Amino acid sequence: MNNTFNMNRFGLLLRRQWLDFGKIYLISLAVVLGIIVGFYGYNIPSPLKNNNFDYDGNLDMRFRYPLLLMLGFIFISIVASSYFNILGQKSRAILELMTPASVLEKFLVGVFYTGIISLFSYLLIFYIADLGFSKYLNSELAMFGNSSPKGGSIKEVETISFQIFHDENYRSYCSYFFAIPFLITSIFLLGSIYFNRFHFIKTALSVMVFTGMASYVVFKVSEQLTKNMTSINHTLESNEKENVLLILLAVTSLLTLIFWLITYVRLKEKEV
Amino acid sequence: MIKINNLNFGYSKHKPLFKNMSMQLSNGHIYGLLGKNGAGKSSLLKNLAGLVYAQSGTLEVMGFNPAKRQPALLEQICFIPEEFYLPSVKIDAYVRANAPFYKNFDHQYFGNLLKEFDIPVSQKLINMSYGQKKKVIIAFGLATQAKLIIMDEPTNGLDIPSKAQFRKIMASAMTEDRCIIISTHQVRDLDNLIDTVIMLDENDVALKASVQEITEKLTFKKVKEIDDSIIYAEPSLSGYNAVMPNYHHEESKLDMELLFNAILAEKVKFKPLFN
Amino acid sequence: MEFRDNKAIYLQIVEYVCEHILLGKWKADEKVPSVREMAVALEVNPNTVMRTYELLQNKNIINNKRGIGFFVAENAIEGVKSYRKVQFMDDELPVVFRNIYLLNIGFDELKTKYETFVKENFNA
Repeated sequence: MNNTFNMNRFGLLLRRQWLDFGKIYLISLAVVLGIIVGFYGYNIPSPLKNNNFDYDGNLDMRFRYPLLLMLGFIFISIVASSYFNILGQKSRAILELMTPASVLEKFLVGVFYTGIISLFSYLLIFYIADLGFSKYLNSELAMFGNSSPKGGSIKEVETISFQIFHDENYRSYCSYFFAIPFLITSIFLLGSIYFNRFHFIKTALSVMVFTGMASYVVFKVSEQLTKNMTSINHTLESNEKENVLLILLAVTSLLTLIFWLITYVRLKEKEV
Repeated sequence: MIKINNLNFGYSKHKPLFKNMSMQLSNGHIYGLLGKNGAGKSSLLKNLAGLVYAQSGTLEVMGFNPAKRQPALLEQICFIPEEFYLPSVKIDAYVRANAPFYKNFDHQYFGNLLKEFDIPVSQKLINMSYGQKKKVIIAFGLATQAKLIIMDEPTNGLDIPSKAQFRKIMASAMTEDRCIIISTHQVRDLDNLIDTVIMLDENDVALKASVQEITEKLTFKKVKEIDDSIIYAEPSLSGYNAVMPNYHHEESKLDMELLFNAILAEKVKFKPLFN
Repeated sequence: MEFRDNKAIYLQIVEYVCEHILLGKWKADEKVPSVREMAVALEVNPNTVMRTYELLQNKNIINNKRGIGFFVAENAIEGVKSYRKVQFMDDELPVVFRNIYLLNIGFDELKTKYETFVKENFNA
């Protein structure tokens, strides 16, 4: 018997965890859908409003971006920070730890649910809601009169996914932030096993304190390095910008892996 | 089955719970683990199950180190904790999700055990009383066909008929290849089931002996008066319940409560008898 | 079965089996319950029942037929009687003797008492 990883056991564990976790998860997805629908309903252009157009003369759908990011952050961080909280309760922790699956399998199932399933199900829900509202608006374009403020006829609303993926530049720009959602889930997953109670608040607080401290250090260090120096006019070359973004991608990916590794070790060392 | 060697364990460095504890347990026995509150009964059981880690010393369960939590060992351990959790699903859903981890799981036996315990299969676990839930996890644990069965206060929360059912079930669950360890305060619930007594006191094993060995060396009886041969006695309605060395090869019934109190009170006198 | 406080459990089970044989509930060459069945019925450790059965085998009260189980021996009743006799002589008689001695009871008196008892109870 392979005591480290076995695909069959991994599958069984996914199914088993779903039994514990699935119902509440589906309910929270429904809540997320409700929130999205609420925001769209309130913010989409409507003949009853005066300013329905953005500065390009298209129907104003700009509220979608902050909603996608904020709600996404809240959802995946809550899901991640509740995953291992069962290990904070003695009786449930015993049941989890005594389940005949390896530590690696238990850890990977956690990563799978918090890092992959939660993220993709969120994006899917958002996509569906967005698609629905876009289709609805496009079928009722006549409501907004005949012409846009910038002249010409009113253009159809594009879905958020179309906007992100259609434009090559935009797409490659976004790819540098690819690791950030995983970083968020990895931090909150670690928080859920690290703290025994109030996982979410404690994790959020620690993140704030750490980022605060890190920015302070960076600020102080750069202040020291640039002491008695004058800034000469410097414009960012495009490949420099790319390098910064690459470093961002590398650092966020690395941090994600480090947080996952620490989570694995914590799980391995968990005592009841 | 189980080898414990110089085990040192404690929840903090300054308050050790076990100091250089060594002990071997073999299959084909029902061990009764006794000890005062805080003597470390649950902690010893958790050490065996790999739920906590020793500071030093070695622990071997069926050739595995339980601290590694390997699936091959976990599927051979049935651990019934005193406080437990069951998700709010029906029994069959619970079994469908958990039984496949145990390759020897016996569904028919599980059904028989539930029947014996009077548990309706279609009932939701959340609507059950503590005692009923306990019976479900005991039934599930036994149906996994695990070789090592660890139970922490299993009769707590069971009503009187359930205790009798529990004793019957444990009597039938005891096979040659199984090792059953039961920690208990309710000695009277289980004293005919236990064949070997393990008593923890003062950071170590104060006594580990089979009932046969104990009753060969000691005799438990009612006496009218106390004399020098008596090691320990407690007043009763008609004189005293006494423990004394078994000079005349009497075959008395082990009184586990009396033995427990006797060892706590007169440890020095018992040491030479059992070494 | 109710266990008493004063005697080892395995011996109490020996008596239980002997009682069944003497009362004719279990006849010669009949199978006796397996160790496990007996342990379950009496809610005791199977090792205890095993000890009982070993003792009964030594006293030629039951036989172990390999692979099939335990059976009541051909002349089990004699075995039971001789076992009981030893038990009585060793355990119960000393108590009776002690009382006879303490209460100054004569053997003649005892003899008449015994004969009436037998006549009344067994019509012998």
